[in-house]
Parts: sequence; C-alpha cells; structure tokens
Amino acid sequence: MRPLLAFDTSTDHLAIGVGDLDRPGAVLAAADVPAPRAANTMVLSAVERVLTEAGLEPSSLAAVACGRGPGSFTGVRIGVATAKGLAHGAGVPLLGFGTLDALAWRVWRSGEHGSRGLIGIIGDAMRGEVYPALFEIEKDGVARLDGDRVAPPADVADEWARHGDAIVLAGPGLSKHRAIFENAYSGRAHIATERVWVADGRSLLDASWAATGPSTVREVVTLERSDAYRIAHPGALLPVYTRLSDAEEAERRRGAIGAGTGTPPPSGVTGPAGGDR
Amino acid sequence: MDHVFTTGDAGETDRAGALLAACLEPGDVVALSGDLGAGKTHLVQGVARALDVDGAVTSPTFNILLVHDGVLPLYHFDLYRLEDEAQLEDVGFFEMLEADGASFIEWGDRFPDALPPDHLLVTIQRSGDTGRVFTLHPGGVRARVLADCWIAAIKAGASG
Repeated sequence: MRPLLAFDTSTDHLAIGVGDLDRPGAVLAAADVPAPRAANTMVLSAVERVLTEAGLEPSSLAAVACGRGPGSFTGVRIGVATAKGLAHGAGVPLLGFGTLDALAWRVWRSGEHGSRGLIGIIGDAMRGEVYPALFEIEKDGVARLDGDRVAPPADVADEWARHGDAIVLAGPGLSKHRAIFENAYSGRAHIATERVWVADGRSLLDASWAATGPSTVREVVTLERSDAYRIAHPGALLPVYTRLSDAEEAERRRGAIGAGTGTPPPSGVTGPAGGDR
Repeated sequence: MDHVFTTGDAGETDRAGALLAACLEPGDVVALSGDLGAGKTHLVQGVARALDVDGAVTSPTFNILLVHDGVLPLYHFDLYRLEDEAQLEDVGFFEMLEADGASFIEWGDRFPDALPPDHLLVTIQRSGDTGRVFTLHPGGVRARVLADCWIAAIKAGASG
C-alpha cells in the first residue's frame, strides 16, 4: 500500500481523502466539512483525524495531492502552502489537481446526470464573477473541455446555453448566480442538488487520478518514492489563481516563464500562463 | 435626508460608531476617508464596542486586516500601506467583503474601483480642534438604508 493524502481548501468547503497509489479508485478514509474562512485553523487537525481513521501516520504517506484552485485566493494559498509543507516534511511528491475538476467528479459520482451530455461547474470568483469549467460526461468519468478562466456569469450562461446539449450545473458560484443560469437556459438546465456543489474526499481522489501533466499522480505512479519526490518536488507545484496575484504577476514578468503558451491543457491542471514549473 | 452630522470630540465619534453598529447587516461595506488623526479608528472602536467585540481595536496599519468576532463579525481594513489595487487580492480583500460580517475600510477611497458599488463612503473633516464633520455618501440602495438608519439614530440620540 502506498497511501495518497488529498485535500482542497480552495472553496468554503474543506475536503480530505486518503487513497492508495497501488489501487486506483480506493478510498481509505474521507471527510468534508464547511470551513468558511477557517481552513487555516481546521485543515491540519482535520488531516490528522482522517489519517488516524485510516490507521496512518504522516510518515507513512507515499504522496500528497492538493487542489490548486481556482477558488478563494486565500483558500488556495492555505491549501497549497500546507500541502507543500506536509509533502516536503514527509519527503514525498506533491501532486496537483484542479479544484473545479474535483467538483465535476462529485457530480458524476452522484449520478445526478444522464449517460451523456455536459457538466458545468461554476466556481465563485467574487466581485460578481465566476470560474466556469465544462466537462463531458463519459462512461467512466468526466473529461475536461476547457481551461481555467474568470468570467461574468451572464456571459458563461449565454455561451453554455448556446451549446444546446443537456447539461447539469453545480458549484459554489451558483449560490450567488443561480438565477442568471436558470434564465439563460429558460428552464432547460438541470441544477444539481446543493449537496453536490462541493467536493468530498472521493472526488478529490478521482480528480487526482484523472489529472495529467507535471506534478500529477499519473506522472509519478510507477516511480519509486525517491524518484517521484525528485520529479514532482513539493517546490514545483504552483497554484492556479486565474486572476494573477501581484507577486505572481511580478514573478511571471521577471522569469517570463511559459511566455506565449496559449490554451491550457484540458485537464484543468494549469499554472498561471502555463508556468507549471 | 441630509447625510451630514458633527461630533465635538473623540468620545462623541466613538458614540456615533456605536449607533451605527445597530444599523449594520452582514455584507455591509463602509469606507472611511479622512486625514491621519481624523477619527477613522475612533469610529470603528465605537462600532466594535457596540458589537461586543473582545479585546482592543487598533488601526490595522501594519496588519492591513484585523478580524474581530462580535455579534456580527467585524472586518477592519487599513489600506494606507498598499501600493496598488492588485495587492487587495493578496490580502483577501474581496472574499472578506462578501463574507458574513461588516467591513470597515480605512483609506477606502484609495482604490475606489475596488469597492463594491453599494458601499457607504464616510468622509471625515476637521472642524476646530476636536470637532469633526461626517458626510455620508451612499453608493447604492443598501448603503442609503444604512445611512438613513445611522442619521436617524444620531438625531434621536441628540434629542433624547
């Protein structure tokens, strides 16, 4: 057994899952709890409880995975910083997944959708905007169709409504903007029950296994621990802010990393302007 | 309703803050504008006292944001040290404004575009040694309700 600890503090809802790199899909322990603006005080004790429930110590972990956002600015920072500390301390790789991807997996697992069509996730970007992400429903999971961005909810609603495909909507951004989407779809949109607008431990693990690119489960799953730590070093993973922070913007200009890279990969695991490393 | 009132000293400014506290609802945003020493912090201290906040309330000049738990959470910002608007993201400005408390923003007029349209701007001007003139500029429907409630409480306090 090679235990994988996954958590996400990017939204108001803290979720934690423990899986096994030797058994895709396995969930050894899981927890999720509302933690509005309290992730910093709750995440470590909650991780400890979940590990204990799984009969594990931090030192027995083989990898740590965290939600990279986009979401609450402060929440993303708390999650990524905590994950970096845990992974580095344990000498294990740090892996990432998209916060919106985990939300899509939650909806997919809930069965609140048809066998075909789309899942539209609406994250809350504050200031009247949303983080939209579109997923195709497949037999064995969800496939991301677009990259991370920030947009006005009315634009997203119009754009998605024009697709004409059956869609199920979910995500914390619906709390503020539900009516905009309902109007754009004039009743055709199926809105998932509020219970699945947030991630749970299993959906984090699903998203971890599905993520592609650098610093993901797929990149390190076949490697020895020391190689995995080197390849997916805790220092390498970057958060996804979408709206770049001041410091991040300055860093990007200075290093000109990933300059000119256009469309992000479809996994949702994208760095600021392609700066994954 | 005329949105102007005066206080004679720091104690009266504190009491004016206490009267505002009773009008506050979650999500209210009050921006404070005035020179150093104008009484921005005195006003917030009055609000905090009336909200049963524990501990001292000081100007968060260096912390930029201080969170106080009270009857209503009080988010107390001081934007004096920020250099540009992008830094507001770094301090969690927008998520606090949309949270379940009331936000008071000293030097809030520094980044007017960053404030939600429906905020209450309070400008404080000196009048003599200790007197202050408070002028309220509501930016929207909710801010106007808040301003009216506050002015009514001050008038009732003055006559009673």
